[in-house]
Amino acid sequence: MAGNTLELKRISASAAPPPGIRDTPVLAKYIDTTTCIGCKACEVACQQWNDLPPETTVQIGTYQTMPDTTANFWNLIRFSEFEDAGGFHWFMRKDQCMHCGDPGCLKACPAPGAIVQYVNGIVDFQQDQCIGCGYCMAGCPFNIPKLSSKTKTVYKCTMCVDRVAVGLEPACIKACPTGCLQFGTKEQLLEVAAKRVDQLRESGFREAGVYDPPGVGGTSVVTVLAHADQPELYGLPSNPSIPLAVSFWKAPLKWLGNIAMIGGIVATAIHYLKYGAKHAHGKDS
Amino acid sequence: MILRYTFKERIVHWVAAFAYVYLLLTGLAFYTPKLYWLAVVLGGGTTSREWHPWAGLVFVAATVLMYVMWASDMRITEGDRAWGRAIGHYVRNEDKHLPPVGRYNAGQKYLFWLMFLGGVLLLISGVAMWFTSSIPWSLRWLRHWAVLVHVSAALATIGGFIIHVYMGTAVVRGGFTSIVRGEVSEEWARTHHPLWKR
Amino acid sequence: MASLAATFGRGAMTNGWTDIANADVILAMGGNPAENHPVGFRFVMDAKRNRNAKLISVDPRYNRTSAVSDSFTQIRVGTDIAFLGGLIHYALTQNRYHAEYVRLFTNATFLVTESYAFDEAAGLFSGWDTAKKAYADKSSWSYELDAQGFAKIDATMEHPRSVFQLMKKHYARYTPEMVSRICGCKPEEFVRAAELITSTFKPDKAGTILYALGWTHHSSSVQLIHTAAMLQLLLGNMGIAGGGLNALRGHANIQGGTDCGMGYHNLPGYVAIQKAGHQSLKTFIDAVTPKPLRPNAMNFYSNTDRFVVSQLKAFYGKAATRENDFAYHLHPKLPESAPGVDENWSWAYIFDHMFQGRMEGLISYGMNPVSNGPNSRKVLSGLSKLKWLVVAENFEQETAAFWKPNILELVGKKPADVQTEVFLLPAANFAEKDGTFTNSARWIQWKWKAIDPPGEALADQEITARIFLRVRELYAAEGGRQAASVTNLNWWYSNPSKPSMDEVLKEINGWAIQDIKDEKDPKTVVLKAGAQLGKFLDTRADGSTLCGNWLYIGCYPEAGNLTQRRNTADPSGLGAHPNWSFNWPANRRIMYNRCSADGAGKPWDASRPVLSWNGEKWVGDVPDFKPDSAPANTPAGTHDAGMGAFIMLPEGVARLFVPGQFAEGPFSEHYEPVEAPIPNPLHPSQSSNPAVKPFTTEFDKLGEAAEYPIVCTTYRLTEHFHYWTKNNPYNMQLQPEFFVEIPEELAKEKGIANGGKVKVTSARGSIEGKAMVTRRIKPMTVGGKKVYQIGFPIHWGFLGKGKQQGSLANLVTPTIVDPNSFAPEYKGFLVKLEKA
Repeated sequence: MAGNTLELKRISASAAPPPGIRDTPVLAKYIDTTTCIGCKACEVACQQWNDLPPETTVQIGTYQTMPDTTANFWNLIRFSEFEDAGGFHWFMRKDQCMHCGDPGCLKACPAPGAIVQYVNGIVDFQQDQCIGCGYCMAGCPFNIPKLSSKTKTVYKCTMCVDRVAVGLEPACIKACPTGCLQFGTKEQLLEVAAKRVDQLRESGFREAGVYDPPGVGGTSVVTVLAHADQPELYGLPSNPSIPLAVSFWKAPLKWLGNIAMIGGIVATAIHYLKYGAKHAHGKDS
Repeated sequence: MILRYTFKERIVHWVAAFAYVYLLLTGLAFYTPKLYWLAVVLGGGTTSREWHPWAGLVFVAATVLMYVMWASDMRITEGDRAWGRAIGHYVRNEDKHLPPVGRYNAGQKYLFWLMFLGGVLLLISGVAMWFTSSIPWSLRWLRHWAVLVHVSAALATIGGFIIHVYMGTAVVRGGFTSIVRGEVSEEWARTHHPLWKR
Repeated sequence: MASLAATFGRGAMTNGWTDIANADVILAMGGNPAENHPVGFRFVMDAKRNRNAKLISVDPRYNRTSAVSDSFTQIRVGTDIAFLGGLIHYALTQNRYHAEYVRLFTNATFLVTESYAFDEAAGLFSGWDTAKKAYADKSSWSYELDAQGFAKIDATMEHPRSVFQLMKKHYARYTPEMVSRICGCKPEEFVRAAELITSTFKPDKAGTILYALGWTHHSSSVQLIHTAAMLQLLLGNMGIAGGGLNALRGHANIQGGTDCGMGYHNLPGYVAIQKAGHQSLKTFIDAVTPKPLRPNAMNFYSNTDRFVVSQLKAFYGKAATRENDFAYHLHPKLPESAPGVDENWSWAYIFDHMFQGRMEGLISYGMNPVSNGPNSRKVLSGLSKLKWLVVAENFEQETAAFWKPNILELVGKKPADVQTEVFLLPAANFAEKDGTFTNSARWIQWKWKAIDPPGEALADQEITARIFLRVRELYAAEGGRQAASVTNLNWWYSNPSKPSMDEVLKEINGWAIQDIKDEKDPKTVVLKAGAQLGKFLDTRADGSTLCGNWLYIGCYPEAGNLTQRRNTADPSGLGAHPNWSFNWPANRRIMYNRCSADGAGKPWDASRPVLSWNGEKWVGDVPDFKPDSAPANTPAGTHDAGMGAFIMLPEGVARLFVPGQFAEGPFSEHYEPVEAPIPNPLHPSQSSNPAVKPFTTEFDKLGEAAEYPIVCTTYRLTEHFHYWTKNNPYNMQLQPEFFVEIPEELAKEKGIANGGKVKVTSARGSIEGKAMVTRRIKPMTVGGKKVYQIGFPIHWGFLGKGKQQGSLANLVTPTIVDPNSFAPEYKGFLVKLEKA
């Protein structure tokens, strides 16, 4: 498949321009929540491929393995119950890094090269460059990056970049028994999704749609929802974007600060040149 | 010679100063990739990241001590307001046109309060950033605001810091010695702080 | 399986996993395939994606399957017959059945004896003996025969004693209102579901039914499955692509186990077990070989003698000669417990015998009776009376550890009170040994050993072989009762202490001992001595062939081990994949496929042809039929359109009316679970299945609705495999603790919080766990009474990773069994619920 190259498109906190010059398609995962049975094969496949140790969990009154992903657990099926005029629904959605087109984590990251985006769209953390500041956790609108208390660095789904780079699909996709997960170029998968959405609409799910939010530059996870008008039902934000605080900080505030700091130093220099020092009267007179 | 700063005051000031400078340099490293080399020089990104919050605690502790020591001296008076209105004279070194001041002039007082309040904001936002993982997702606005407040407060204190260092070292001759050795000449006191020690 | 065999002729999933993708309507009922068969469920999703098929989920809970269904109907636990009976009634009264199909391929046209009757008020069929409280005389449950012994038919199906008319009358009571009263769904909900389900009555529509243990674990399970079979026959859904009645098996190789004689009542290939009365080979063969009931019935079981003799040759080898009736005398016979009454050694009875002190020892392979049998306390008490217990397992489990104080205290005993000597043999697991798995779809698939077993663990066949060789030595040295039965066993394997699975499979398939001649032309040799058998009729009843399991013939012919085939080619485009592994019988992918074509041999649905008559022979799938038998000897539209499509049955057609075979009647009837919250709305005086005989030990207590008002059911989770994965921290992480699913309203009434602790108590015992408060189970009104249902999964116990805390689900389940299959009623019983 095209798109196996790991050329970089974006690098966090990098003063140098990213080297990405290859024109490769963006790769994506397809998640059809309407054919997902919440079997959790993807959860364990993720752990197995990535050699992640099992977590200790507690039954708190849900089928969901744990409340949120963790540094050891990057792929979680979210279960939610919902009832409306159309009847009762039990939603299951595979949650993991959305691999945003414009990743908030990368934008917020202060450590050069700790977060990169490959030209194929995969957003990847480089733990050896990560300083564990947690800015990415503020920058992500999906609550994905998780700090490991052991290594003090941040982890999340890598879209199995080590598999993708050699032409394999991510482990979660490989493990999916029902075919609700697929892997391919985003373009292809959007077509698959559009077809499925049409089918769902014909079957009475008038609000069926694809979740590919433009606020984060689209995602490399193409999610089909039967109730796309209410993504919150699935634990998805309805119009995600990089938090205002983060984008304000990274643009206007930063420029304001730069001007203020440089301006301050320059002003003091000018002041000294013009007015010089204040001397005590004794010496003065 | 007159004792302007006790030994204790000088220790506290310099603890705060060194902590602040460390915070400033590491903070600037995280602030912009162009200055990330500062973190590298100071022992690497991870070390800087690890020590920054602890240095912050040191700074805040020193700030609290300063508050205890100086808060009463720093109360803003009617005279300070008049001084503030006449600050143009101060800038132009026309100090004789200014109302006479005591141990601290209004500029110093405002600086004190700027650094103190900035310190408080930096502490609160800094703690939130230190323990981002513990902030529940439902309170994620705290994560976002913490980042914004931390940067804004830091920038404000940097402004104050630049003026403070400039005034203390370049403009008000004798000021730097006073915070190092603790003593000033009587003339110095009469000139800059006529109402002090009267 | 008992039901499918009685209705269609063979006891297995009729179609196959891959074929589900061809369906237009999929009814998942009595099973939760998304939960328990997630891999096969891909084909359900394929049908949805590719054909826009409708998935209908009918279950006591809104479950994982319901989550992706197009329609969900909640019914009360144990009321499936009422729901299905309602569907039959709906199909018949709304003219939504495939009349031509029914006429051609079922016994709807057969006439039933005049003495047959059903008393609607009493809820009993003719032949009931009130004094004995049993069906003493089942002779009225049969056909009216003509002079030649053939059943009389009425092709118009209008005769009042035709099966069709009797069926119509029998199910007339199952109106939507009655279904609602019994099942708890609203009449209009039922009608909506019924409309969708019966929409497949059209010849160009295909509907499949997927079921599993949610149907088999009831006290009327066999009748239940028969009702579903009737429905599929009425809708014309049997034998067609995308149709069928598909039993999804509960374990990877349970079909293989059943095929190879796992039940006490039959031998490999479903050859009935020899009974005490069958003193000679001839009496036995005569007793188990059916006579044709119609002149056009192939009655394939007329070949039983070949299979029996070939099997005896496999068992006793050279010791089985024509002169000694092929060592028939060496084969053990099932004894009688009383004159005319065969002993029962099915699961619940084994443990009853054990409890009654009638057993000395038990060898338990790959199972965990303390955990997986019903009523764990009775099992524990039984085990404690044994002299010895051998457990071959991957892990130490509750059965091997039953003597430990924390488990034994469940029956009020201490380790010192128990004299049982326990041996725990480390056994290799499925990935650590070669062999085959036979899946639900009857695919016999070879699997290769992936890794060596750890430590001293051995493959089951090696454990068995070593025990056998030592036992044989002892018999040879010391003699004993029936010593010859052991010393003469045919143990021909190259490595006797470690038989290779390749050799075992060769033996199961069988080979020619001498040259096999063509039966019509004795000069032609069809199979040389030593050659592997290729087809069923290669077997001979004269001792010249050897075959362990006739049903598996063809899996290992001269061409080699076909179970290793992995060719994905799909020439039909219908997912038949004929060169993938080997599909019993005879590599047929869809059983009863003659029914996919009309009287003239033309496929009902041209877009999904399974089999069609090309003028000379049947082409398509391997025909489940005589390959060159023309479709219509008599004009189409009458019953006798050529040879009967169901070649395994003496009728030649499928049975809507099952003569004589079932314990509780020839038609199904809704009977309440033995523990039920209300009396049977149809006939309160006969509430539960009249043929059920409850055990009577101190442990077999039953509860009444007054004390135990809540209906409870048990199930499995996709995150776990039975009681095995509790040893794996990854599985434990996914489902860490035992929990009870409780409707919101009930939780509110009892002050139970989500995630809080609760205690469930039945007449047998209690169990504690976390509460999962949910809207997925709703309270319902049945028989005018508000009833709550709760449920819990089974996977925890005493040993394993994480929190086990003794949460054995089967501490509360009853030892009530279906009178035909003897499967326990795990899925419906009464409890009370408290905050713990």
